[in-house]
Formats: sequence, structure tokens, C-alpha cells
Amino acid sequence: MLEHGGRLRLASQRYGIELAHWIDLSTGIAPWPYPVPEIPLSVWQRLPEDDDGLLDVASAYYGAKNLLAVNGSQAAIMALPRLRAPGVVAVLAPSYGEYAPAWRAAGHQVIECAAEDLRQQDVDAIDVMMLANPNNPDGCCFSRVALLAMAQRLSESNGWLVVDEAFADADGENSLANMAGMAGAENVIILRSLGKFFGLAGARVGFCIAAPALLLRLQEALGPWPLANPARFIAKVGLGDTAWQAAQRQRLHAASARLATLLANNDLPSTGGTALFQYVQCAFAAPLYERLAQRGILVRYFAEPSALRLGLPENEMAWARLENALGDVMGKYGYPSNSSA
Amino acid sequence: MPDVSLALPLTMLMGVLLDRLLGEPRCFHPLVGFGALADRIENILRQGAPGHPLFNRLRGLLGWLLLVLPLVTAAWLLCRLPLGWLADVALLYFALGTRSLVQHGEQVARNLAASDLAAARLHVGWMVSRDISQLDEEGVARAAVESVLENGNDAVFGALFWFCVAGGAGALLYRLANTLDAMWGYKDARRIYFGWAAARIDDMLNFIPARLTALTYAVLGDTRTALACWRMQARDWSSPNAGPVIAAGAGAMGVQLGGAAVYHGQLEMRPKVGAGDTACQWHIYRSLRLIVLGQWVWVVVVAVVMTIFNALINHA
Repeated sequence: MLEHGGRLRLASQRYGIELAHWIDLSTGIAPWPYPVPEIPLSVWQRLPEDDDGLLDVASAYYGAKNLLAVNGSQAAIMALPRLRAPGVVAVLAPSYGEYAPAWRAAGHQVIECAAEDLRQQDVDAIDVMMLANPNNPDGCCFSRVALLAMAQRLSESNGWLVVDEAFADADGENSLANMAGMAGAENVIILRSLGKFFGLAGARVGFCIAAPALLLRLQEALGPWPLANPARFIAKVGLGDTAWQAAQRQRLHAASARLATLLANNDLPSTGGTALFQYVQCAFAAPLYERLAQRGILVRYFAEPSALRLGLPENEMAWARLENALGDVMGKYGYPSNSSA
Repeated sequence: MPDVSLALPLTMLMGVLLDRLLGEPRCFHPLVGFGALADRIENILRQGAPGHPLFNRLRGLLGWLLLVLPLVTAAWLLCRLPLGWLADVALLYFALGTRSLVQHGEQVARNLAASDLAAARLHVGWMVSRDISQLDEEGVARAAVESVLENGNDAVFGALFWFCVAGGAGALLYRLANTLDAMWGYKDARRIYFGWAAARIDDMLNFIPARLTALTYAVLGDTRTALACWRMQARDWSSPNAGPVIAAGAGAMGVQLGGAAVYHGQLEMRPKVGAGDTACQWHIYRSLRLIVLGQWVWVVVVAVVMTIFNALINHA
């Protein structure tokens, strides 16, 4: 299993700091989750039903006609590779770590490509391209024009373009959600999730947007009731709450800009990011991670390339802790605190 | 009249060239005689081990003054004589240890490249005071790189700095203070009071040079990482002057230094500094390059600064 962000307990033990004293910035999950309403008992009691209105609300939210609710986009990441014969898959790297293993496990040959290579990749030899847009962890984006051109080239050999839009809710200008599976983008498959922007990673609600025939096969592969009824209930309310979404969008952008400024003020200019995180590529990411952890601040470390990803602080207390820690770690050319005679 | 502003960089250049050509004196090293003298002074002055906290500190200070002042004063007078610049050059040559450092470092790197761990351990043992008997290849390379970086301060840039400040006498003062710190400044129980003055004076003399050395490493390597490591890690190091030097040097080269080492049979958990790769022989060559290149940069910078300074004075 890959290591993901949010392993707070492990860090708590390693650095000997109580769980409650940590500022956890190691995920790209919004620090202010959707205020989930109380779930009626009947929702728990009944089996999930497709006509509960979730797909209509989701369809309006994503601007997409053909979509399938899945048990987190991870379920689709695992199932999609088994829906086509083994071939060659170009996967964006660095990116979310689960893409390549999922394709390999289904017998495909995986080539990991930098964003620029993916844009220029000679598609004759490629059956599938998979990428995240905006990308996690570096925030790198593909434009709609570039993506459609890639999809067009792939379609000539019946190839797929799979785009994980887990971070597109607040940065949606390049989203293909409203085109995937339709004329001109039949071979585009979009993955969406309520984990990041809605802060509901624990609910495991995702959607796959693609051509109807493909969605049917995916549905068969996943079996009945991929989503728990309470998860469907929560998702329906959240996806329909446009007022909360507008406020959330504004909050996230403001906090992310503030985080970028704070980092830049400490000589750690962000090299990319989204509304939900900032990404700092630097050769000294490992010692920086270590020193932030010693001060009870957990961020996400990436070894290749050497970089840190920081999520958004939840409140002013967390901002102050982060600001102090960054100032303390990065601010001193002068005297050592422990100089002994 | 020749341009006097270039006298300093020219004598510097000659000292550096002399060191490069000759290396350390082979037959008779003046520091050996100085060391013997220091031993005798210590035997006469130090009472008890460690002895009285205040009186032995004062005795250590007196010993330091007795050893250093006459020689430095003599050197200062010598450099004021006609053709005194020859004395300046000779004293700088005496204080510089670049060539010797390069020879030692390259020897260890060659041994590592030839997979001769026994020889590498032996030769790195000439450079460091830690226990080398259990070191693996990485440990040998790490010890060598740490020694090169620290000696880049003690044997190269510190001497150049004090030469710029006070000519040949300054370089001599620095080298003698450095030697006495190495002899008396150990924080072992016997000399904790007697060696106090030698250690403190050496700390003071090194305060600015250590930071200029760190800056030199930063400029000649990965500057951003070097400065970040300096800011993050220097204060963790036990010595306030070695901290910036070793952290900036490690960052500039993108190598991990520090960590556990055995000194006199005691395992010391030193902080880890730097970032990136674990050390190998390649980093020894890189650290030597920082020092060799660095001293040329110093000569050029001093020449430029003096020229500008002179132009300003002539205009005024």
C-alpha cells in the first residue's frame, strides 16, 4: 500500500507530540468540511436507490449528463484498467501515486511521463493517458484545448484520456466535466470526488463522467450499491447547496493565497498550488519537513522531486503556529540557541 | 607611483600561489617548535587539572599572551621594514594550508575510488580526531568532507580574512590562536579552565571568517539550499562557528553530513545537517573544489573592492 497524507498517529509517535497538539497540513482536504445534516433513520434502514435524486443534483453540479456514482474516485481508478485489454498507459508523474499501480495490476505497461512529455507524447504507441488536472501535488494544469487535442489524437486508436479532477471544484476553469463522453470528447473519462473541496474524504463519494456505454460496463464491474445510503444522502445535500459552495470557494482561495504569501515571506516561494494546497519544490525539503514536524506541524514530503505540500491551516491558532514555526525554522542566520561554553 | 590599492590582493595572490607550489614545509615546520614551546609554557603555568576556575583561566590567558604576542609583534615589525611585503607573503604562506588539505582529501577520495577501505580509513584518520576503525565507505567520505569544510575555515579563509585585516601579522595571529585552541581548547577535564582563554579567543577570531566561509560555500554551490541549511541547521551544531560552515557547505553540495560519530570511545549523536545525497568520494572532490575555487574568488573580490575603494579615495 502506498503512503498517503494524513498519517498523523504515526508522526505523533515518532516525534513524541500528543495527537491533539498537531497542526495537520499533510492532506489536500479542505479544513472546513461541509456541515453534514442529521441523517434520518430511514436512510440507514433502506438499501440505496438510484432514483433518490443524487444523480440529478450531481448532474447539475458537474454540468454533466452521463455520470455514475462510485465509492470514492479510488474505486474507479481501480476498476477502469480492467475494462480494457492490456496496453500501454502513459501516466503523469509526479502525481497521485495510485494510478500507475492500478494499471500495472491489470496487466498494462505503464510509462510515467512529465507534463510536457505527456502533451507531446507520440500517441501511436499509447493506448491510455491518465493525469490529474489540476495535478496533485504540484498544481500543474492542462488547458481544455490541450486536453481535447490529446483526446482527439488518442481517439484515432480508440484510446482513453482519463482525467482525475479531484481538485477541480475550486479551480474548475480547465475542467472537461461538462464535455466528457459527449461528441468531440467521447473517449474522455473524468473522475470527481467529494473528498477535497467538500472535505468529506471519509464519506467515500466519487463520480465517474464518461460515455454511457463505458459507464454501464463500469457499473457492472463495481456491482450493486457501490455507495452507502448515508453517503448518498450527504452528497445530495452538499452538491445542491450552492450558497455554501460559493462561500467555500471564496474561503479556500483566500486561505491558499494567504498560505502562498506566508511561504514566500519565509523564502519558501510556492512553485505551484491550487485553492486547497501550496507546493514548494526545494532541495532541502527533507530537513524542512523534519523541523516542522519537531514543532508539531505535519506537512507532506515528496522525495522525487524533493518537495513539500502544505494544506490550509484551519483557524487563526493554526496560522499562528505555522507562522511561528516557519519563522523559527527559516529565520536565523545568527546565533545558535544551544551554544554551550 | 605604483597603485598601492593592489598591494593587498597581489601579496594575497603570491601567498596562495606559494602554497599551491610548495605545500606545507617538508623538513622543518615552524608550528612543531611552537607546539613544543606551548607544552613547556603549559607545564610551567597550569596548576592542577582542572585546578582553580578563576586562576587557571587567568594563567591560560597569560600563557596565550606570552606565546602569541611576542611573535605577532615581531612579525608586525618585520612587515613594516623595506621589502616587508616579502614577509607578508611568507607569513600568509605559512598560515595557509590549502595544498595540504587538497592532498589529504584527494588521497582519501582515491582510496575510496579504488575500494581500498583500509587505506581510506588510515588516511582519513590523519584529517579527523574521531574513531575511524569502524567507519564504512560513507562514514569515511562524510568524515573527510566535514574535515575539508571545517578546515576550509581554519586553514584557508580564516587566514585570508586576518591577512586582509592586518597583513602577515594578522595571518600569523590567526594561525597561532588556532593552534593553541587545538592544543589547549579541548573541553576535557584537565584543561577546562586553562584552555578557556584559548578557546574563547579562537571563537572570537573566527566569528566573522566562519560566516564568510559559509557564504563562500553558498555562493559557489547550490546557494538557496546552502542558505536554507545554514538558517535551519547551523544552530543545532555544538560549535557556534562550525555550525554555519558545515551546514552551508553541506547544503551547497547537496550532501548529508553530521550524525553519529565516535570520539575517544564515546558515541556522539551530532545533529544531521545538509540535504540530499549520502556522502561518497565524489563529495570530497566537490568540497575541495569549493575551497580551491573559493580562495581565487577571495583574491578577485579583494582586488575589485580595493580598486573601487582606491578610485573613490582618489576622487574625493
